[in-house]
Amino acid sequence: MPLVFTLNGDEIRLDDIPDGMLLVDVLRDHLGLTGTKRGCETGTCGMCSVLVDGVLTRSCRTKAIDVAGRLVTTIEGIHGPDGALSDLQAAFLEHGAVQCGYCTPAMVLAAEALLRRHSDPTREQIRSAINGILCRCTGYMQIVDAIEATAAVRAGRNRRTGQNRTAGRRSDREQER
Amino acid sequence: MATPIGASPTYVGNPSLQNVDGADKITGRARYVGDMTVPGMLVGKVLRSAVPHARIVELDVTPALAVAGVRAAITHRDFVDNGPFGWPVRDAFVLAYRKVRYVGDPIAAVAADTAEAAQAGIEAIRVTYELLPVISDMAAALDPGAPQIPEVSPTGKGNLCATHLLRNGDPDSLLAGGQVILEATYSLPHQEHAYLETEGALAIPEPGGGVTVYANCQSPHIARDTAALVLGLEPSLVRVIQPFVGGAFGGKDDIVYQTTAQVAKLALLAGRPVRLVLSRPESMAASYKRESMKSRITLAADSDGTLRAAKVAITVDSGAYASMSPMTAWRATMHAAGAYRYQAVHVDTQVLYTNNGYSGAFRGFGNTPASAAAELAIDELAERLGRDPLEFRLQNCLRSGDCTMTGVRTPGGAGLAACLEWVRDRSDWATKRAAYDEQRAVGAGVDSRRSRRGIGVACYFHGSGLGGEGVDFATARLAVDADYGITLTAGLTDFGQGSRTVFSLLAAETLGVRMDRIRVLRPDTQTALDSGPTVASRASIVGGNAVRVTAQKIGHVLTLAAADLLGCAPERILRSGEAYIGPAEDPISFEAVVDHARTMGLQLSADGRWQVRPIEWDFERGTGEPYFAYVFGAQVAEVEVSAVTGRTRVLKIWAAHDAGTILYPKGALGQMYGGIAQGLGYALMEDFRFEAGMPQALDFDRYRIPRAMDIPDIEGTYIQMLPVGTGQPPVGTGQPGGPYGAKNLAEPVMIATAPAIANAFAQATGRRVRSMPLPLWNG
Ligand code: FES
Ligand code: FES
Repeated sequence: MPLVFTLNGDEIRLDDIPDGMLLVDVLRDHLGLTGTKRGCETGTCGMCSVLVDGVLTRSCRTKAIDVAGRLVTTIEGIHGPDGALSDLQAAFLEHGAVQCGYCTPAMVLAAEALLRRHSDPTREQIRSAINGILCRCTGYMQIVDAIEATAAVRAGRNRRTGQNRTAGRRSDREQER
Repeated sequence: MATPIGASPTYVGNPSLQNVDGADKITGRARYVGDMTVPGMLVGKVLRSAVPHARIVELDVTPALAVAGVRAAITHRDFVDNGPFGWPVRDAFVLAYRKVRYVGDPIAAVAADTAEAAQAGIEAIRVTYELLPVISDMAAALDPGAPQIPEVSPTGKGNLCATHLLRNGDPDSLLAGGQVILEATYSLPHQEHAYLETEGALAIPEPGGGVTVYANCQSPHIARDTAALVLGLEPSLVRVIQPFVGGAFGGKDDIVYQTTAQVAKLALLAGRPVRLVLSRPESMAASYKRESMKSRITLAADSDGTLRAAKVAITVDSGAYASMSPMTAWRATMHAAGAYRYQAVHVDTQVLYTNNGYSGAFRGFGNTPASAAAELAIDELAERLGRDPLEFRLQNCLRSGDCTMTGVRTPGGAGLAACLEWVRDRSDWATKRAAYDEQRAVGAGVDSRRSRRGIGVACYFHGSGLGGEGVDFATARLAVDADYGITLTAGLTDFGQGSRTVFSLLAAETLGVRMDRIRVLRPDTQTALDSGPTVASRASIVGGNAVRVTAQKIGHVLTLAAADLLGCAPERILRSGEAYIGPAEDPISFEAVVDHARTMGLQLSADGRWQVRPIEWDFERGTGEPYFAYVFGAQVAEVEVSAVTGRTRVLKIWAAHDAGTILYPKGALGQMYGGIAQGLGYALMEDFRFEAGMPQALDFDRYRIPRAMDIPDIEGTYIQMLPVGTGQPPVGTGQPGGPYGAKNLAEPVMIATAPAIANAFAQATGRRVRSMPLPLWNG
């Protein structure tokens, strides 16, 4: 059956997608976007995570036809305004949060999903947001550091432009820690 | 200000250094073997044994070849001499020959147009077994009636795969001396590497009968040599290239060599490229594990707490094949009584064949279980002596100039006491220890009536490099390119641990050039020189030194060219950034010096090799010098044990590692955190169990590894050698011969975590555990 959806901002039209075909297979095998990884294919490792309408979703447990008409974001769709690295991606590198890199695309997407709905997460909330994605290399510490730092920078930027939160909330959080 | 070459490191230890592969990985551009496709590529699939031990009565792949879409099918018959491989014991086969010995043993393989056709091909293969008795317990392996698992016993004694011994003095007389004695047996489980990327290879047949294989192995040269031998090809006709590797931790040796040879044969027969990537359950069944181990430890101390003697008897479950178990067991033997001063130590080790999967290299390489056992025993002994476990360790731990348990002086000094003091002070050890003792005494929890807390410590030493396990060398090649970039080819490889970054920074530092000039080629047997296996955390030290000596050769040539250009003696050349400066103080650029060197006809490429000082271990007598240097470290863990769920949660970990000079600080911390996470899993949840030879967990639902919420914040440090010339005495210790005084760290950092957690559990619950993972606490 035909499938139309938005992938990383572009409209994708596929003429004939078998009924049960998984999103991960469409992304990797049909569209050649191999930034989305496979680690288990049973929904436990999180390597295949993508964003569907901004929600972190395991593409190995999602039928491709279920994303018809929706917005899908993969790691290939994450970048800064000028096409360079996003602030979050740069923070991952600055904090040493990338080792073998196999979990990295999914981690970045999980972090992005968190930061879009929560501008001021605690370390516990960050850990919870990435809990579905395994990493065998890093022990998660520097990943949490990178996400926390990005949240702080984004919050600062938002504050300056008068969007989002107040200075008071920020110092509350610092006391919490 | 002008600085002479090498005078002020700008990259070594620079905290802002980033992973040189980072941008490729963070954007998803990095290609792992499963991401690679080539036109006409077939799908490979392996038929694996579902039974732990059987004789193969009939094996016929012709029905598979009749399946539509199947292009090739192979068995042991397709390989020279039936395809034997393995080192140090050649007891394995690329595809099973005569017998299967564990669940997951590969029997046959097919290549087909689609995954579905490959699966149908696998199902069409005719195989019949004659089941053999299963040896699932080390205790049964040496029974006189036990079936022999290997075709040929390497020791001539049935299922005895290897033995090791260590002899230092006469512990028996000291044990008989009437001091405080502890005698206990500790059991450590199999552990799965659980790299997130499973094993895989892509083989492409080449004109002229050769084959190129992209394989996520740790050591491309060993993969090539293994494949060439069983394929009956000249090594030059087999090219192995290592793409990005999604984690290895010691686990991508034998299993990937085997996969490489299978895929190469399928591609040669089909005349088309073949890619084979293992599924997760397949990977978990087929790949080798950390060995399970039993360690029977007898310790004697004086009543004043001075340790006197140790006797240790170790049995290692090698499973169906030897793989690296004879060597991990040797390392276990060399570390079995821990990082303490003893007057006498004996260790006796047996490595046994069973049908429990098979065991091989995994981070810590035998020292992880051996030291875990020793650290549980030391804690119990401290309790018996009525001593604080951390102060007891400080009293007895190795210090510079002491002899290790093998009776040989520690070369290069020991920074262990500084590590113990750091974790003691940072964790507020004394206060917490007293509070939690009291809490246990009155039976009340801290957080609630239902939970109890404890704090525990463990420490370690770890011999550097291969030691007596083999000739420890590495090679490197550097060439200045036409665009003034510098291509670096290193034999030792990177699978996430950051060696590419370390090699780049060492080359840049030594040559005095910008780091972005350095391009590290992916390991490729066609270009790189053989450097032996990337194991034993030796990449930074041995591989790093090879890079350094190679860079020195080119640096020397460039200095000569600069001197010629500036008309002065080479000794008068100074550096300022990349520029070369002569007595007239006119800086000339790196590019100008390179151009001039070329007009002089100087060669701007070099090969270099670095070898560890040879050491001698007498395997027959169990004496000698096992390693050229040691690293040390200590960790404290604080835990909370719930009386409701019985679960242990780790609240915080403090870690100190005596690391000499840190070359790549972010990478070093990442190695520490990652190692600790694996140690936490080993203590709390990771137990790769076999029942009658059947693996009990083949997915991440049943074999749990730590997730983000399982791991607490970690406060870690590297006790570094202070720079020479500060006037202060060094706290940590440098490694003799390590590049810029660096020591290795990737492996040993995980060793203390599990025993520190178990010792904390013992304080919280009043219950000593002698096996891992920790049980649920039932009050
Ligand atoms: S591949 Fe593991 S959750 Fe999808
Ligand atoms: S960096 Fe290797 S799995 Fe996360």
